[in-house]
Amino acid sequence: MNLLRLQRYANRNSYLFALLLLVVVLAINYSLQPSLFELRVLNGNLRNWFPLMLLAAGQTIVIIGGGIDLSAGAMVSMVNALLVGSLLTAESTPDEVLLGALIACGAGMLVGAINGFCVAYLRLQPIVTTYATSFIYAGVALYVLPRPGGAIPADLARTYRSTPLDIPFVVYLIVLLILFWLALRATRFGQYLFATGGQPNAAYASGVPVNFVRFLTYVLSGLFAALAAIALTISVSTGNPRIGDKMTLDSIVAVVVGGTRLSGGQGGIIGTVMGIVILGTIRNIISFANVPTWSQTLVDALIIIAALTGPGLIRLIRRRFQ
Amino acid sequence: MKVSLSAQHIVKRYSGVVALADGNLNVESGQVVALLGANGSGKSTLSKIITGVVAPNEGQLLLDGRPVTFASPQAAKKAGITAVYQELSLIPDMTVAENIWLAHEPLQFGVRINRREMRRRTDALLDLFSGAFHTLDADALVADLPPDEKQIVEILKAFSLKPRVMILDEATASLDSRQVDRLFNLIQQWKAENLAIVFVSHRMEEIFRVADRATVLRNGITVGDVAISETNERELVNLMIEASATPRRHERTVAADAPVRLSVRGLRTQALKGIDLEVRDGELLGIGGLQGQGQSELLLALFGAIPWTGEVTLSGEPVHFRHPRAAMEKDVAFVPGDRASEGLLYIRSILENLLLPSWQRYGIPLQLDRGRQDATRIADDLGLVRPSMDAPVSALSGGNAQKVVIGKWLLRNPKLLLLNDPTKGVDVGAKAEFYNLLNDLRQAGTAILFYSSDDVELLELCDRVLVLHDGKVSAELSGSDLNRANLVAASMGSGHMNHEPA
Repeated sequence: MNLLRLQRYANRNSYLFALLLLVVVLAINYSLQPSLFELRVLNGNLRNWFPLMLLAAGQTIVIIGGGIDLSAGAMVSMVNALLVGSLLTAESTPDEVLLGALIACGAGMLVGAINGFCVAYLRLQPIVTTYATSFIYAGVALYVLPRPGGAIPADLARTYRSTPLDIPFVVYLIVLLILFWLALRATRFGQYLFATGGQPNAAYASGVPVNFVRFLTYVLSGLFAALAAIALTISVSTGNPRIGDKMTLDSIVAVVVGGTRLSGGQGGIIGTVMGIVILGTIRNIISFANVPTWSQTLVDALIIIAALTGPGLIRLIRRRFQ
Repeated sequence: MKVSLSAQHIVKRYSGVVALADGNLNVESGQVVALLGANGSGKSTLSKIITGVVAPNEGQLLLDGRPVTFASPQAAKKAGITAVYQELSLIPDMTVAENIWLAHEPLQFGVRINRREMRRRTDALLDLFSGAFHTLDADALVADLPPDEKQIVEILKAFSLKPRVMILDEATASLDSRQVDRLFNLIQQWKAENLAIVFVSHRMEEIFRVADRATVLRNGITVGDVAISETNERELVNLMIEASATPRRHERTVAADAPVRLSVRGLRTQALKGIDLEVRDGELLGIGGLQGQGQSELLLALFGAIPWTGEVTLSGEPVHFRHPRAAMEKDVAFVPGDRASEGLLYIRSILENLLLPSWQRYGIPLQLDRGRQDATRIADDLGLVRPSMDAPVSALSGGNAQKVVIGKWLLRNPKLLLLNDPTKGVDVGAKAEFYNLLNDLRQAGTAILFYSSDDVELLELCDRVLVLHDGKVSAELSGSDLNRANLVAASMGSGHMNHEPA
């Protein structure tokens, strides 16, 4: 019975492979860089990874719901440009910062709603739609902030880097992210999300508002892109209208490495959090392993392909033995 | 609370084709009404109209005496009408409990799903079937369940909505006898609790066990509404077929000394429970029965498309095809039933479609001119009406498109032709041409295995018909036994009726 429970747990929580991979890559990284778990290094790494983690969290929700969001990175660029180019300056008061953050979140949700409307109600293909809208959002970013520059209050970066109770500030935020996910899973929307991504027709026949669920996944993705942009802006303390462009594909890779099924209906943000740490650690390893610069991208790609194959291999083996 | 549901003079047309001409059904609390009819008689259309899945063109539904219209399945559910379908509405990657309570989960504080309560209620529902299954429990993933347990979950899911009217559409098809017994006990219990039940089944024996009344459909018209206690199997079967059963038009004979092309012994798959058959060269062997009794599986297994066990010999040589290509190499051809998804590449040209299974004969680089000649010859032989060989198949009418599906195999000169309900959705004129084609092929000595969901077609074309029921051959009809009454009786799994009904 216990074995059965364990097997079921593994079936449902598809991030077990990610967990294994996480341990392996952390061990390799530690052997190359013994200071890995020192507070300073840990804090630095997590700070760098956290914006992508937020973005991938939103991506996870869209993918579980059966879609994909290729405009995620462009939304980050757009919100970063808005924050630095028009909402905040280095002298902004805390009230202005709060207002700016709220407007940023609203902007993210608005563009997410555009994606969601096109995909859920106009029935356009998610890949093409969000690829197309990504150019609109990138265009807005360039319009608001034509060239890199600008600044935000320095206090923000100080808080972001702080380590209350000797624990990096970002860790508290990651805990919040995971709590958010667990809470979402405990609501009816959580059930609807998995049902919609798993078997839309059956979900519809059971009374699930399939279109509205799809729409909401994109709105949430927009919100998380805005949060990612806020974290990134604080982290780099400046603006760049192309800052998020490369984050889209990384966010998708992290979701898949974290065990979420690309065709929808299975997975979760906990796996994605691990996926981000795995991706970041792999890049650490490459830079510490003295891989020649010209082949870093190649090695990076090979390791990611290996990581992506893992969950599929496990499924294949399981089917063979059934 | 008592309930009554009445469908009156329902008409439903699908793009010109009348699926239901005058459908009537009455059911009330504490009653089980069996809905019967041969293939295409409109029983599934009628049950879909009652549950709001399709909207009727004419007629009305009365619920408790008041006219109602259902815009969607949800609207019907709100009114207390639910259905258990064969094609399951379950989500494989979710647990049994999550599936049963999907979209009506018990909540805590109005937002949080109360998993403990959901589990408790699921266990209570599962107790209704306790002892009649193996692995089923609230936390099992639906994807891991065998078909019978999925069906049980589907039944419990419908029941969890606390319906007033429940439609069981072939809900017993995948259940074993113990599970059916349990379901029937539950139905008795639910009757006592004032539930009204419509029971659609192809098993006569079950209808006599569980139903109080039977409503019989024939060609979209309700032709009978009888109390089960005052009728018998014979009378129901007679109601289901035309009073003047279509006589066989042609007598055909196959030379008894023609060589046996295909011989099958004890063929088993997931759906088939041991099939024996023999087809001679030039013979047209019909496969009949209600839909979904394993007919398609039989043809797919013979074509090597699904795994099977048993003995198959082709022209005396034992074979075991594990891939369609292996069957094709032995001159076996398969014409699928679903043209759109399995038979044709709609946006590609007629030429390409015809040559698709045969490209390997045209060398590297492809000898396109020779291919075009061969394809044109076949197209001419078939009388294919076409703008040009390069026109896309989507430009053709249904009948002509069907010719392409068959033509692409004729290019390979098949010795054994497997036809999976090939005339579904083909107009009458094209059907006649198709029948001529089949006769020509028979004259040329091709052995043909022909599954059709159209009984008339089987009666008119075939030398012999095997009727499948529940994955087994329930009757082999030929000569004077091959008539409508026997065909329908065998489809319902009841005994062989040797004589024409009076």
